[in-house]
Amino acid sequence: MKINKQFALVSVCILSLSIVSNCDNNFLEKRPFGTTTEATLANKEGLNALLIGAYSYLKGGSGGGFVSSWMAVASQDDARLGCEDGASIENCFLYDATNAYINERWVFLYSAIQNCNDVLRLLPEAKDLTDEEKGQINAEARFLRGIYYLYLAIGWKNVPWIDETVTYSEQNYLVSNTTPIYPKIEEDFEHAANYLTETKAQVGRGNKWAAKCFLVKTYMFQKKFSEAKILLDDIIVNGKTSNNLKYGLLEKYGDNFKTETKNGREGVFVVQMSVNDGANGANGNPMDYFNGPYGSPATCCYGCFAPYFDLIDAYQTDHLTGLPLIDTYQLTPIKNDQGLSSSDPFTPHEGTLDSRLDWCVGRRGIPYLDWGVHPGKSWIRSQYTDGPYSAIKNICWQARVETDREAGSSATNTPLSLIRFADVLLWAAECEIEVGRLSNAESYVNRVRERASNPQGFVYKYIDDNDPLRGFSSIPAANYKVGLYTGQFASNGKTYARKAVRFERRLELACEHQRYFDLLRYDGLDFDLANWHNWVMQREGSQPGFNPSNNYKQAMFIRDKNELFPIPQEQIDKSAGKNGISVLIQNPGW
Amino acid sequence: MKKTSIIDSSYKDELKKVFSYKRNFLILLFICVLQVQATELYPQTSKFTISFERITLAEFFDEIEKQSEYLFIYKDIDVDGVKINLNIKNATITELLDAALEKTGLSYTIDGRHFSIFRLDAEQKDLKNAASDPKIQNYPKYQNITKKNITGNVTDEQGNPIIGANIKENGTTNGTISDENGSFSLNIEDNALISVSYMGFVTQEISTAGKTFINVILREDTKILDEFVVVGYESKRRRDITGSIEIVNIDNLQKTVSSSALQALQGLASGVNIVSSGAPGLDSKILIRGITSFGDANPLIIVDGIEQNLNNINANEIESLQVLKDAGAASIYGVRGSNGVIIVTTKKGKISAPTVSYDGYYGMTYPLPGNPFNLLNSEDFMHVYNTAIPGNELFARGMPDYTYRGPNGAGVGFESDPEVNPANYFYEAPNRGRNYIIQKVNKKGEDWFHHFFKKAPRQNHTITVSGGTEKAKYLFSTGYMRQEGTATKTSLQRVSVRINTEYSIKNWLKIGENANFIYKSTPGFTNQDQFSTLTQIYRLFPITPLKDIKGNWAGSFGGPNLGSAGANPVGAQYRSIEKDVDRQFITLGNIFAEVNILKGLTARTSIGYNIQNLYSQDYGPNITENIEGSSNPDNLTISSNFATTMTFSNTLSYERIIGVHGIKALIGSEAIESVERGHFGSSADFFSNDFNYLILNNGTSGKTNSSWVNENSLFSLFARLDYSFDNKYLLGITIRRDGSSRFGSYKKYGTFPSLSMGWRISEEVFAKKLTWLDDLKIRGSYGILGSQNNISGNNAFSLYHSNLGRTYYDINGTGNSAELGFAQSQIGNANTGWEKDKVLNLGFDATILNQSLFISAEYYRKNTEGLLFNEPLPAVVAGSASTPVINIGDIRNTGFDISLTYKGTIAKDLSFSAGINFTPYKNTIVNIPDPGYFYAGGLLDTWDNICKNKEGHPMSSFYGYKVIGIFKSDDEVVSAATQDGAQPGRFRYQDTDKDGKITDKDRVFIGDPNPDFTFGIPLYFNYRNIDLSAFFYGSYGNDIFNSTRYFLDFFQYYPGNKSNRLLDAWTPENLNSTIPKIENTKSFSNCTVTNSYFIEDGSYLRLKSLILGYTFPSSLLQKFKMSKLRIYIESTNLFTITKYSGLDPELGGSNSNFGIDIGNYPNNECSIILGFNITF
Repeated sequence: MKINKQFALVSVCILSLSIVSNCDNNFLEKRPFGTTTEATLANKEGLNALLIGAYSYLKGGSGGGFVSSWMAVASQDDARLGCEDGASIENCFLYDATNAYINERWVFLYSAIQNCNDVLRLLPEAKDLTDEEKGQINAEARFLRGIYYLYLAIGWKNVPWIDETVTYSEQNYLVSNTTPIYPKIEEDFEHAANYLTETKAQVGRGNKWAAKCFLVKTYMFQKKFSEAKILLDDIIVNGKTSNNLKYGLLEKYGDNFKTETKNGREGVFVVQMSVNDGANGANGNPMDYFNGPYGSPATCCYGCFAPYFDLIDAYQTDHLTGLPLIDTYQLTPIKNDQGLSSSDPFTPHEGTLDSRLDWCVGRRGIPYLDWGVHPGKSWIRSQYTDGPYSAIKNICWQARVETDREAGSSATNTPLSLIRFADVLLWAAECEIEVGRLSNAESYVNRVRERASNPQGFVYKYIDDNDPLRGFSSIPAANYKVGLYTGQFASNGKTYARKAVRFERRLELACEHQRYFDLLRYDGLDFDLANWHNWVMQREGSQPGFNPSNNYKQAMFIRDKNELFPIPQEQIDKSAGKNGISVLIQNPGW
Repeated sequence: MKKTSIIDSSYKDELKKVFSYKRNFLILLFICVLQVQATELYPQTSKFTISFERITLAEFFDEIEKQSEYLFIYKDIDVDGVKINLNIKNATITELLDAALEKTGLSYTIDGRHFSIFRLDAEQKDLKNAASDPKIQNYPKYQNITKKNITGNVTDEQGNPIIGANIKENGTTNGTISDENGSFSLNIEDNALISVSYMGFVTQEISTAGKTFINVILREDTKILDEFVVVGYESKRRRDITGSIEIVNIDNLQKTVSSSALQALQGLASGVNIVSSGAPGLDSKILIRGITSFGDANPLIIVDGIEQNLNNINANEIESLQVLKDAGAASIYGVRGSNGVIIVTTKKGKISAPTVSYDGYYGMTYPLPGNPFNLLNSEDFMHVYNTAIPGNELFARGMPDYTYRGPNGAGVGFESDPEVNPANYFYEAPNRGRNYIIQKVNKKGEDWFHHFFKKAPRQNHTITVSGGTEKAKYLFSTGYMRQEGTATKTSLQRVSVRINTEYSIKNWLKIGENANFIYKSTPGFTNQDQFSTLTQIYRLFPITPLKDIKGNWAGSFGGPNLGSAGANPVGAQYRSIEKDVDRQFITLGNIFAEVNILKGLTARTSIGYNIQNLYSQDYGPNITENIEGSSNPDNLTISSNFATTMTFSNTLSYERIIGVHGIKALIGSEAIESVERGHFGSSADFFSNDFNYLILNNGTSGKTNSSWVNENSLFSLFARLDYSFDNKYLLGITIRRDGSSRFGSYKKYGTFPSLSMGWRISEEVFAKKLTWLDDLKIRGSYGILGSQNNISGNNAFSLYHSNLGRTYYDINGTGNSAELGFAQSQIGNANTGWEKDKVLNLGFDATILNQSLFISAEYYRKNTEGLLFNEPLPAVVAGSASTPVINIGDIRNTGFDISLTYKGTIAKDLSFSAGINFTPYKNTIVNIPDPGYFYAGGLLDTWDNICKNKEGHPMSSFYGYKVIGIFKSDDEVVSAATQDGAQPGRFRYQDTDKDGKITDKDRVFIGDPNPDFTFGIPLYFNYRNIDLSAFFYGSYGNDIFNSTRYFLDFFQYYPGNKSNRLLDAWTPENLNSTIPKIENTKSFSNCTVTNSYFIEDGSYLRLKSLILGYTFPSSLLQKFKMSKLRIYIESTNLFTITKYSGLDPELGGSNSNFGIDIGNYPNNECSIILGFNITF
């Protein structure tokens, strides 16, 4: 009897062992939670969401870290890093192939490209899309891919072409960077320009005209002026935004940086920033997040992206003609408050200035949007190392702070235009010069200057300095005078005209993350990039009262090297084949 | 009852073995009780009347055991087949035995009620015969023998009399037992040897030559070799162990005041390194035999059969703790054994009347005294600051009286300046730009360190009730611990309850349960973080006061350029932690049943759960005193999660002795399933910061929420076979097959075998002659272990995710909303398998010099292969997706584990023991993915990585430029290799490749955070009722990268207070300084690259604890019905000897970048504790 009981128990034990053994297979299958796979995305909604994912990279940022730093890498002669660092190593061409920001940017752009490729790869598998819909998704994905490749090309030039056929599972990702990249980019933009519709139901999407403008930009970087000019003639006459506005300049220059006037007729391709959308500010100008003053009352920002002394000087105009002092502005540096504290008396520059200065740079004594009169040092994080100026273009207005700035953060939804129509007009001016029609170029430049000369677009003094929200008086904040060219292009010749257009681009597009790359384009055409950078860095480094031992002392732009970023060492290392040799060839000089 | 002999054991019967194990503990732990009882219960007065014919001796002993309380211990081999006839009346037990054993060649000794039966060898037999045969006494050898009387006293080491000790004249049956005073008297032949024995003590042989009175001090026989230790699914006698198993001395573990058993384990086990911080409630980091992975290298910790975190267990609750280090021991845990296994058994009820005991202490922890960060005072700071930033606003007019900031800017002021008129003062908590703050300058220098660190109390109380009968045993214990951190407002509070019971329902069925409930509250402190509140101590200027003129927290807002500290650290702790909640409730336990199916065959089934529930609330206040973020709204984050792990294990074990063959076998299966679900929410900008108002709904902006789920499972089959031949040759074979849900379908299963062997040399005939040698065993093992710690269950899948702040996009241009977007988040790989360790272990264990010296030494080589690594894919294919974890790295650890313990007596009543646990290891990276190295340990984004993990070097080695001096002059700059930023007063780097340029190729390995060895030295002295123990711990040869020096020695990073070292900085007049010149420009030649300036020697020796205890004599205690009362005072960390300039050289960190000081909560603070142990 007792033995029977025991055997019963043994049987139970063995049974329980075998039960567990039998459910073995199911027991060990655990599917991932909270994510999705290709299979669930290969349909209309999934592909559209993947495409949105591809758009999302336009916002910039790098997935964490010191997000302004990339801007600092590529902002020489606009603004330095600031944030107590003053001129960073990157501002002074002192980086090397192991620089983290350069690698981050590379990774970021290829992440974006991968996202476009994912769309293109999955698109044929979607069964619930019409051919028309597929065509638009395809063209939009290629449009975006073109943009991301263009940024790679203008930074590094020699980059591997990775399209939708390259995947981890195919193990075909060791692609060399020796094939010319521009033809591929042109193909993508041409395809997009051919197939995209002229208007879009959603304003953020790329349309036919935006694709054409990017194709122009691609040509400009290859100095293909005549190809560009053909397109530009069409764009300037017929171009329209995706929300069906005929291309044109906004009346007031400052409206380009205001949320309430974004997606207007000047916005060829505007990045759609958003705040208070649940993402805690991550979608609001992540690259410019740290830019702006430091301290009350705008009470945001971190004091990064501090404009150059030389930039401010460039906004001087001739007091009679209102034309820029292209060759002479350096001789008459503008008085600044470097070394002064906010309580020391200071009168801002009284000479004539281009009105665009005070939309681009926050400086002592001038209204800083509707936040109050900029008091100088007390809004500056570290005047000694950073200089006395503040960035402004990414800052939202106090009156709209509730909607345009993420609560408790520096993130704003102020627009960031990758291309705006003023940009297009000035490209057209460049092309006209290269094909020899200097007066056409002058009239394009004058179109841009005319808007800058519009007094309605000036910065005005407050009605009450102690209550900036009461509004503005009718007294201009400074002595603005912007005049038009009157035949100087033709009379002074091509070299002068080139300088004048380039100067105009500097003034018009300052601190919009264009200048560094524009300078690359000019190199060799009446312009020596190395001389320019070395001059500017020396000029900044010798500013009286400005950190006498900063990086400018060692700064050096080296010819045949610093024109291109180094291919990130990490990427070279990770791209070694079985033989141990990397498929990525380092750029010259690095 | 029949019982196997203690000395020559034969495996006979599992149940009885267990019994002996328990009884040994009883004897060890309750020796006082027994010694009182021994004489009372077993006077040899019983009379036996017996008549047997041709019964076996074994049957005879059984019969006597049935009729009396006597127990017999014998070897089967001696009694097998021996049959006797007996007919005796009214005999005493000794008369009975004398009669029974006559002519059998057997004799006996008496220990209380225990009779040990042994076979006489030839010589003894002769003597015995000689003694009893009157004829033989006429031989010359025995003539002229004079008898003498000898008296004596038998005591234990504490001087307590031992009652009932056996005193025997050697080679005779002549003997007696000691009386209730421990005294004895015996007539012996002159110069005879006597042996004094008592159960549980080491038998002593004493020459009586020239003596009439003998004082005998018996030393407790710890019977270490006979201890049963739990080794994973079964227990094993220590002497039979062939793998590497460190059996931790629990007394030592429980002696040191600690907040967890893991913390207390430091230095107590060779091969085990433990690093803790001083922050209450922060988990300690543990490594067994070096670092075996770049990721998680935590060992498996099994408490009563269930995986558990040892950080949550009080050392007082532990009965035994074993560390399984090699494959021979750990491969029974297969894939989870790679990093070693710690097996903990908690205290259980024992057969006794209900016993109540209380352990408790109360004490105080004191912050480090003096100026631990060596910070400048205000005057010196002004001097240094003016050097770095000439013409600065702060000290433009000398040391100001006040600093202020209002809507129109900031400045300094002197008494009666209008700007610092208190009437201007205005403060509102969410700083909307209207605040006008005035701070009075502290001209001496604010002691931020001691504002932040204050003395703090700690206490611990444990009450245990336990007892039981043969049929049921129980234990209930409850503990309360509260440790306040010296850092303002930090604390750990833990309440734990443990209940276990065991019922022997039938003689073949036993069931029971363990249950453990833990409640833990520990408001978080972020340690080793360059922006933590602790680092603000040196990031604030010394002139900044704790509070402003109106009593609000002061900081960098209230003045011009007051640095860039993140917050007022004291204010931050007060405002935040008071509103933080961090509560964890853990329930774990199992129920089990054990069935004795046939003789030697036992089935056991156990199902257990570990259920954890965590709730955490983290409040971030308005940091209005800080310039950066002063207008940021307050915010609240709440998260909670619920995790369960089920462990279902079934084993079948068999044990049998067949002649000289001992066989022990185990097979089993185990299923483990873990599920974790959690959620998280946050919101910001609260109308009120009242604690009771703080719920997520009340935030007015920044609302987010998220949730997560994780599931994984493991199913395993395992088997173990132990074979012993003649108790001399030992063999163990283990195999485990694990299936894990974390791996893809191609690599789901892994098999982990091991083989171990041992040779007990001391059992060999030739070794028995070596009287100094008590025991010697050499052993070796080889096998494979695995790890699945560093792979997520999703690794096999390619996945896409959406993320509000990353993949969403405002395609409609609304400015305030974003549309759903997807991006690839992970590339999957289904071919990834286990990390594998191939472990070779060779060692020996020896007990020598009459059980006074214990030595254990081992050599091991552990090759970790197929380390789980994220595949280093180029960005062109990986994009922002995480790359799959694949098997591509190898690490080798080699080392020695050595432990020694010596027990001795210095003088009467004064005994001591001294030990050392010595842990040297060498770690080498054998192979990692191309290019054969990777960097780790980056701090601020602008800093280089500090560590380079490279093939051929130890993990986490520091890598950078070697500073060979400071440039003294422009001439030196010119003559030296070209170096960016070279200037007099800046670092001169070594031109390693001698190419005349300092490039990144000149970087070298500049330090190794791995110690050459660590060691623990427990010392113990006992004099009568007084005990004194000291425990030293040290580490030698480890380098520290002191990153706090970035802040303390350089203005180039964040302006803050600086070290007094800067007073000796390089100047043209002070050319030989090792401190670079004071300046404000970052340069390659000062601090933007990793260089050897930051490397320091982190060796240290610490007196971890010093304990003085007094145990009240039992005679006194009996009046109060107490059986034990001990009081002690303990001081922890009385001193640390080190050259390290930071707070504490004991540093944690992740495995790929440990040894970097990023502002570490020191673990070397001194505590003074008063404690009690009481048992009723």
